[in-house]
Amino acid sequence: MKKSKTYWKLCVILVIALMVLAYTPLMIPAGVYKPMVLGIPYTLWTSFLITALLVILTYIGAKVHPGSDEGGED
Amino acid sequence: MKTWIYIFFGIFFILLAYASWKSYRKNRSAEEFMLAGKSIGPILGFLTFSAALFSAFTFMGMPDFFRNHGIGAWTFLAFSDGIMVFFILWFGYRLRRKAREHNFQGVAGLMVSSYGTRWAGVAMFASAFIFLIPYVAIQIRGISIFLEAAFPGMLPSWAWALIMVVMMLVYAEIGGLKAIVYSDAIQGLILLMVIWLIGGTCIAAFGNVPDLFKAVENVNTELLSTPGPEGLFSWQFLLGSMIAVVMIPVTQPQLTTRLVVVKNLASMKKMAYAVGMFAILVIVPTIFIGMYGAVKYPGVPTSEFLSNALLFDQAAPVAALAIVGLFAACLSTTNAQIFALGNELRSLLRGEEKRAMRITRISLFFFAGVVMVFSTLMSDELALLARVSFTGTAMMAPIVLLAVIRKTKPERGVILISSLAFVTYLLSLAGVVPDHLGALRLDLALYLFLLVSVLLLTGLKKFT
Repeated sequence: MKKSKTYWKLCVILVIALMVLAYTPLMIPAGVYKPMVLGIPYTLWTSFLITALLVILTYIGAKVHPGSDEGGED
Repeated sequence: MKTWIYIFFGIFFILLAYASWKSYRKNRSAEEFMLAGKSIGPILGFLTFSAALFSAFTFMGMPDFFRNHGIGAWTFLAFSDGIMVFFILWFGYRLRRKAREHNFQGVAGLMVSSYGTRWAGVAMFASAFIFLIPYVAIQIRGISIFLEAAFPGMLPSWAWALIMVVMMLVYAEIGGLKAIVYSDAIQGLILLMVIWLIGGTCIAAFGNVPDLFKAVENVNTELLSTPGPEGLFSWQFLLGSMIAVVMIPVTQPQLTTRLVVVKNLASMKKMAYAVGMFAILVIVPTIFIGMYGAVKYPGVPTSEFLSNALLFDQAAPVAALAIVGLFAACLSTTNAQIFALGNELRSLLRGEEKRAMRITRISLFFFAGVVMVFSTLMSDELALLARVSFTGTAMMAPIVLLAVIRKTKPERGVILISSLAFVTYLLSLAGVVPDHLGALRLDLALYLFLLVSVLLLTGLKKFT
């Protein structure tokens, strides 16, 4: 349970970090669309990657979330 | 194309009739009718949640958003959905715990019982009514645009809306939430299939994805970066949108209810990441459709772009499937929302169960009538109207969040604070209050006000 809580907190921290990153000029630079990857503009491929990471973190978060129907984590 | 339309509609209606019949025989108690017996499994759970979330607004609004404002539309919706599905893990767990303690009948009822005052429930119901009605009307408006294009001159748009609303009511009255969940599952699968078929055609028109973006680069490079040609996707707009989207499961009762009716927490957790995957899968092709439109149909009205890109530029079976898919999307989303409003009303009613159910059923007709009238007044800016709906209901989020966090009775002052933010936002839509506070967008300023007020009201210590 303790390990589970640590992993869950780690997931929360990572999600918050990605969330903050997504609204910085690093991810949404005004008027910049290069470098392109596979012909896809910069902001699109980076934000796609971050979105995919969020879904992966949700998958991991679902596995390590310490709550249960009977109670558990607060 | 008409033959294909009849074939696909025939299959769709047979599936609906079967689902309705199956639900009718099994579910007649009030809880079974309104909450599907709180026994939905993870697959149906994620499909019904996704279908209630992604609808005509995604199918039509998002391609148009990409076409007009560029690739920032991904951050606007898909990235925000990514945050939302993670948030569901945290929120859903606490909501379900609270729902168990208070015998959940609806969000408004849960708030009445948590705060010990009817005002909490009335505030939640009022916000849902005020902002869900336009959101449902968007769906009806979307399908009307499409059906008018597919069958020019056959029926006026209000008649299409009427057919839709009558079908929705008959279906909901017969089968209840269980039938709606089945129709959501059918709709979700049709939507995913058809949007990829159309997205694929749009890519094929240019050869491949890099050539599609190359063509966009030649037309308007501003579409390839933020804030886009009209400067819409500023960080403030995107951040405000993210908060509004993340709050959807908190404040939009059709989705909050779906977190509770899933049979157990494990199923709800599976549902969360499955919705995340579905979000990516369903939004990616709308990029291709939008970029296709940016090259082929720049500057034309929304209805002209959509009817060409989704119908006339497609092979007959794909176009027919698009019509059926959009009809299904519209039907299930409007159904879910109207039904949720009915359920919210029921959870506020006191007295005999039979009387409450009778009033609830009558209210479904009333809500549907209001939606129909609204649908004839809506503009074509589907995605922006959806955002307004999400933002409006998000102002009430502190009421629900505090109720699910707190083990004891939450502070009633939060009802007043949220209602104040809600009314201010409404006034800004009416043009009475400015939409910016200095350099800050009003929605962000109101979120900040809510955060600070709730922290002051409850004390920082209790939050940590």
